[in-house]
Amino acid sequence: MHRRSFVRLLAAGAAYARAPVAGAAQKAEGLPPLRVVSKYSAAKVPGMPGPYPGRVVSVKSDKVVDTTTGKADDAIVREMMAQGIRRLTNAATTADAWRRFFEPSDVVGIKVNCGGFPHCISAYEIVAEVVRQLTGIGVPVTQIFVYERFQNQMDECNYAAHLPSGVQSVAAERANRNADNSGYDPATYLEADLFGEEDTRSNMMRLVSQRLTKIINIPNMKDHGATGVTGCLKNIVYARLSNVARTHSRGKSHTYSVVGALAAMEPLRSKTVLQVMDGLRGVWHGGPFARTTRYVFYPREIMFATDPVAIDRLLLDIIENERRAHGAISIWDRSPASLKIDNNRARDADPNVNIIIREPGHVEYASTLGLGVYDLKKIKVERLTV
Amino acid sequence: MTALVVLALSLPCVYWTGGTESRATLEGAGITRICVAPGRADSWRAAGFTVTPLTDAELAARERLPSPGTTPRPGVASPTRAPWIDANGWRVTRHPTTKYVYDVPAGNAALAAAEIVAYGADAVLKIDPADAATLGRMLAFLAALPPADLPPVADVGIVDDGSAITGEVMNLLSRRNLLFQVVQAPSPRLPITIRIGAPEYPREEAADPSAFAQKIRRQVTDERRALRVYGSEVVICRLTAAGGRARVHLLNYGGREIEGLRIRVQGTYTDGEAHVAGTGRLALEDRVVAGDATEFTIPRITTYAIVDLRTAR
Repeated sequence: MHRRSFVRLLAAGAAYARAPVAGAAQKAEGLPPLRVVSKYSAAKVPGMPGPYPGRVVSVKSDKVVDTTTGKADDAIVREMMAQGIRRLTNAATTADAWRRFFEPSDVVGIKVNCGGFPHCISAYEIVAEVVRQLTGIGVPVTQIFVYERFQNQMDECNYAAHLPSGVQSVAAERANRNADNSGYDPATYLEADLFGEEDTRSNMMRLVSQRLTKIINIPNMKDHGATGVTGCLKNIVYARLSNVARTHSRGKSHTYSVVGALAAMEPLRSKTVLQVMDGLRGVWHGGPFARTTRYVFYPREIMFATDPVAIDRLLLDIIENERRAHGAISIWDRSPASLKIDNNRARDADPNVNIIIREPGHVEYASTLGLGVYDLKKIKVERLTV
Repeated sequence: MTALVVLALSLPCVYWTGGTESRATLEGAGITRICVAPGRADSWRAAGFTVTPLTDAELAARERLPSPGTTPRPGVASPTRAPWIDANGWRVTRHPTTKYVYDVPAGNAALAAAEIVAYGADAVLKIDPADAATLGRMLAFLAALPPADLPPVADVGIVDDGSAITGEVMNLLSRRNLLFQVVQAPSPRLPITIRIGAPEYPREEAADPSAFAQKIRRQVTDERRALRVYGSEVVICRLTAAGGRARVHLLNYGGREIEGLRIRVQGTYTDGEAHVAGTGRLALEDRVVAGDATEFTIPRITTYAIVDLRTAR
C-alpha cells in the first residue's frame, strides 16, 4: 500500500464523520441513508449560500428575446448581466463585481445546461458574456472550462462556436451509457442504496474536485419530471456526479434528499460561488427536455445570487404559475391518478401526466443542510428592468 | 477422445464444422486446436491442427448453455434499472463437472470463451466463422495469462436441492456479484447458508429470486461482501484467493468497453495488476485500503480482464 493512499483514506474517513448528511437522522425521517465520502473540507465561506444568503437580483427585459423567433439580443443580455452582477455585489463597476468572486489565478468552471437542447439551454449570449467578463478581469481563456456531464450533449450545443478560442469545453462522459467513469473522482462520492441497485456510488467529476477552483452555475428555468423544477440545485449536482439517474425509478424519486446532499458535498459546495439563472427562455412541462416549443415560455429574466435555494424557491412559483396558466397539474401533485409510470410519450403529450411523483420539496430540504434560504419572507428580491 | 478434452480444460475447444478448405480462416485467427466430427479428424490432423474428435452423440450429451450477453426485455418490469444479463457462471459453479456446449451467434464467441476460462468449465464452443479472428485473439490472451490455481471465495453457501427455483436464486446472486458456493450443509467458513424451503428462506420468497437475492445482500451487508463493482451493472466477477494472493475475473456482458471500473475486494493487498483482453497488462489506479478491503480502478475493460492481487510478506 502506498502511504499516500493510506493518508487519503484516513482523510476520507474523517470527512465522512464530519459530513453534513447524517445517515441516522435521515433514517429517522424515512429517507434513505446517504454516506458522503470526501477528503475536502469546507472553505471559510462556502460558495453556497455564499456571502449573500437569501438575496436574489432579478433583471427583466421585455426586449431581450424575440418570442416569435426565440432569438436573444446580445446587447441587452450584456446590459442585464452588468446591472445584475453590480446590484448583487453593490460594486461600482461590472469588473469590480466580477472581482468579488474571481481572480486571475482561478480555474473557473461554467456549468451549463444542455439537457434542453435545442429550445432551452444555457444561453450562448449569457455564457459568452460570463467568459468576456472573466477574461476582462484577467482570467486566461485556458483557465475557463465550459462543462456538462455528457459530451454528446456538449457537441449538440457547441458552445465553442460562440466563445473565444482557448476556452475548454469538457464533459465527464461521452454519453449517458454508464460506461465512462474515468472522468470521475474515485475518492469523492455519495454512497446510497436507493432502489436495490448494485452500483451504489455517485462520484464527483474530477474536473470539479481536482481542477477547478471556482464554479459559476448557469441553469435554466425548467420544469422537471422527478424534482418538480430543475434550477440551481439540480443543475449543479446532477451534471457533476456519475450514476445519478438511479435516484428515480418506477414512479418514485429519492431526489427529495439526494439533490441537497449532493449539493452539500465538498468541494462542490465551497467552489460554486455564483448562480446565474438563465430565464430568457423556460420550460413549463416535459422538462428537463425541450425538443419542441410546445412547453417553452419566455420569462425574459436573469437572476443573480450566491444562494441556490433562494433562486430555486422563486423558480418553484414561476414554474407552478406557468403551469397553472396552462391548466396543468401542480408540480406538487402526488395523485396516483396523474401518474403514468415511465410513460414519456404520455407525459410529453399531456401536461396533466406525471411519470414520477415529483419532489419539489428538495429545495426546502436543501435549506435544512445550510445551502440557502427557503422562506419567501426571508428572501430579499431586488427587481431591475432593462 | 474425452480425455483429450479434459486435458485441455483450461481453454475451450472450438467445434469446427467446416472442412480443411476453411483452414485459412482458423490459421488466420491463430486457432490451432479444434474439435471436429470424427470423420474429419484425420484430414484436419494432416493439415497440422491439434484435433479432438467429437461425435454428434457426445456433442448432444453436453449441456447447452445460452449465449452470454445482455438481452433487451422491453415491457418486463424490473426492480432496478440494471439490464437483463444472460450469464452462465452460476451454472458452472452449480455443476462444475458437467460438460457444456455453447452455440453462439456472431459477436459472442470471445465472451463465451472468457466465461469458460473464468469458471474453469469443460466446454466446447460452436461459433460463427465470422468470429474466428476475434476468438483467436481472445484465446491467445487467455493462453498467455499467468497461472493461478486459487480456491473460489464465497459470501454465502447454498444447499442445492436441484430445483429450478434454487437455480434462479443462484443466477440472481451471481448477477449481483454475491458470490456463492454450493454446500451440503452449513459451513463455519461461511456466515450464511441458504437452504430454500427452510423457515428463514421459504420457497415462496425464493419465487421472486431478485427480491430474494436482495434479502441475502442485506443479510451479508455490502460492507462485508467479498467483492463490489462500481461503475457498471453489466460486469460479473469471480474471485479466487488464498495465501495473500487473489485473482478477480471480470466478465463484461455489456458489449462495450468500460473506462474506470472501480473494484472493492475484501482483504489487504499491497500490489497488483490487471490483464485486459485486447489491451494487455495495465497498472491498477487509485488503489486504497479501506478498513478490511482494498479498492482500485481498472483503467479500461473490454470483454474480459483479470486482476491479480498480492500482499507483501
